[in-house]
Amino acid sequence: MALAESVRSLLDPRLLIVTGKGGTGKTTVVAALALTAAAHGRRVLVVETGREEHVPRLLAPKSDPVGYAGREVRPGLWAMRVDPYQALAEYLGLQLRMQALVSRIMRNRGFRQLMNASPGWRDLITLGKVWHLEQQRTEKGEPRYDLLLVDAPATGHGLTFLDVPRVVVSALRAGPLRRHAGWVEEMLRDPTATLLLPVALAEELPARETVELVGRIRQGVGVPIDRVVINAVPEPPFPEDLADLDQRLARIPEDRVLAGLPPAPVIATCASHLRSRYELNRRYVGEIARESGLPTLILPFIRGGIRGPDDLDALAGALLAPATGGTP
Amino acid sequence: MSTTPEEIVDGRRIVVCVGCGGVGKTTISASLALAGARRGRRVLVLTIDPAKRLADALGVRSLGNTPRAIPRKLLDRLGVPAEGRLSAMMLDMKRTLDDLVERFAEDAVARDRILENPIYQHASDALSGSAEYSAMEKVFELCEREDLDLIVLDTPPSQHALDFLEAPQRLLEFLDSRLVQLLLHPAFAAGRFGFRLFQRSAHQVLKTLERVSGISFLEDISEFLLAFEGMSEGFRARAGRVQALLFGPESAFVLAAGPADESVADAMTFLDRLEDSGAAVAGVVVNRVRMWPAAAVKLPLESEREAALASLAEALGGEKETGGSARKAAQAALSMLDGYASMVQQDRVATAPLRERAQRRGCFWREVPELPRDVHDLDGIARIASFIFEADAEVAGGG
Repeated sequence: MALAESVRSLLDPRLLIVTGKGGTGKTTVVAALALTAAAHGRRVLVVETGREEHVPRLLAPKSDPVGYAGREVRPGLWAMRVDPYQALAEYLGLQLRMQALVSRIMRNRGFRQLMNASPGWRDLITLGKVWHLEQQRTEKGEPRYDLLLVDAPATGHGLTFLDVPRVVVSALRAGPLRRHAGWVEEMLRDPTATLLLPVALAEELPARETVELVGRIRQGVGVPIDRVVINAVPEPPFPEDLADLDQRLARIPEDRVLAGLPPAPVIATCASHLRSRYELNRRYVGEIARESGLPTLILPFIRGGIRGPDDLDALAGALLAPATGGTP
Repeated sequence: MSTTPEEIVDGRRIVVCVGCGGVGKTTISASLALAGARRGRRVLVLTIDPAKRLADALGVRSLGNTPRAIPRKLLDRLGVPAEGRLSAMMLDMKRTLDDLVERFAEDAVARDRILENPIYQHASDALSGSAEYSAMEKVFELCEREDLDLIVLDTPPSQHALDFLEAPQRLLEFLDSRLVQLLLHPAFAAGRFGFRLFQRSAHQVLKTLERVSGISFLEDISEFLLAFEGMSEGFRARAGRVQALLFGPESAFVLAAGPADESVADAMTFLDRLEDSGAAVAGVVVNRVRMWPAAAVKLPLESEREAALASLAEALGGEKETGGSARKAAQAALSMLDGYASMVQQDRVATAPLRERAQRRGCFWREVPELPRDVHDLDGIARIASFIFEADAEVAGGG
């Protein structure tokens, strides 16, 4: 099972939801995928769900915010940010077909206070907007976008995000809201259209959280998932045939003078530090693969950080490679 | 002149460790707490969902929702004097909220109606701000205890900087809102002078909500609110006192950050918004910074590189090995050092704006180096503390 799934390209789904804790580089992965998909001729829409426009800023640095209306930021690549209140107003407008009434409701202070404190609806309305975007067709009847790329909220919250439609369907007895939540749930569970892509780091907490996320998705949330991305995995610090270089450096006598270099113990400490971190990273890569049971996709660590579209190319190739490992 | 971490753990009742998720906030909180205990205070670190192995190390394996004392034997080894104490507690947010309902519900019937309400069951962990509110509530309760001098609070990882501080206010506004009042007491509201205009628009809102959502949803919601309503007085009084305590002179905020671009940007926003809201940020601790293991490390200039290579090859080759293989090893070592230098440089550049802003605001600034291994026990926590507190200072790296 795992093998067949992992062969599927990340450009195949219609709806790709990228999730991961803050600091895992989820934003980078979304941006790299967006660029690659657009380069492969797909019409891509990036949907940002946070308060900040991280992805649009990476794709088109120094340009104006894309906002709720969205914009084509590069050829074939659109980006937007879902503001829950704007999405709610749009939803109410579609339901009631009376714009004046909708404006009155949205301006009502009591209504704002009620909504500010109410749980879950932001997630539901955001996913509802994604569903609505997915339904859009061109005049020729083709999907308006080939790929919807959703930058989901950070993990702990990311799971609640995806589970809200199911909770609503099970908590409500009837009514339009229940029906609409059902449509969203159906979209999220559709294995032919949807894929959830978790982004992890080869470090303790992100590894543990990713394994938990995968477990809970498989147990109940039921969104299709077939691989885990492990981001920023560093290269070995020394060439393969010099794997014990740190130990060799440590054997240089402390007082030995090295021309133009820091003292030998400093060099040895740096080497052993890098080797320890590298081995630790490898261990967590192994842990994620073993305990999630899913194939993994390893992305390289980019020296100097990622500051714009050019730095994303290095990640794009790695993202399209087949994922490896995993147990059925 | 900024305050020091020493002054804070010596003089305050509450230290709130804030910051975005994933920067090692729990570790920083634990090390602040340990430092307090080492300085003779009775300290509790209140943490939320730490890495399991760290929880094991702190002795809070179970979600007991009560403080667990770190054994004396361990404290002795860590240099905690006889009068110093350290305990740890992992907050069970759902249970704290349930406790709150128990305490403030008017009677057993009201209590059960809340606890059994489907909306409460589905939503109590998602109810806006309830997690943050629970944590604050617990701090308040613990502050009333005579046997604690200092509480270090590891705040829940919130997606947005100030969720934690704004949560109680939001909950209160919600309970106060006239729409909620109308849901709760339609008859009362109708009779009240000046309410009629509001009532008409509120009715429209409610009718619309019903139409869009289906009637059963509103029934559940109003039952849920009705049940909560009896609690709101006690709730309000406490929320006010919790706020006063947190923003008062007995508390200090420490901001934990990471050295990556993203997390520096988040920390800057956090710092600004905390100050705007009236919370005084005493200091910033940047965790896992890549730095040189010694002061004033210099790498060879381009023109010195050949000599450096030869000298290192000779040192690596020892007596028996000469020529190609030692030179290859020296080249690998030199390129390793280049890589190390670029990491150090990357973190220095990324953290510079945060450092500048923190220092301009009179916050203390401490950098904790990335350690070769993850921190899983109290010894590791002591090690982290040694980079934050002068008295225990050591040079980065090694070990």
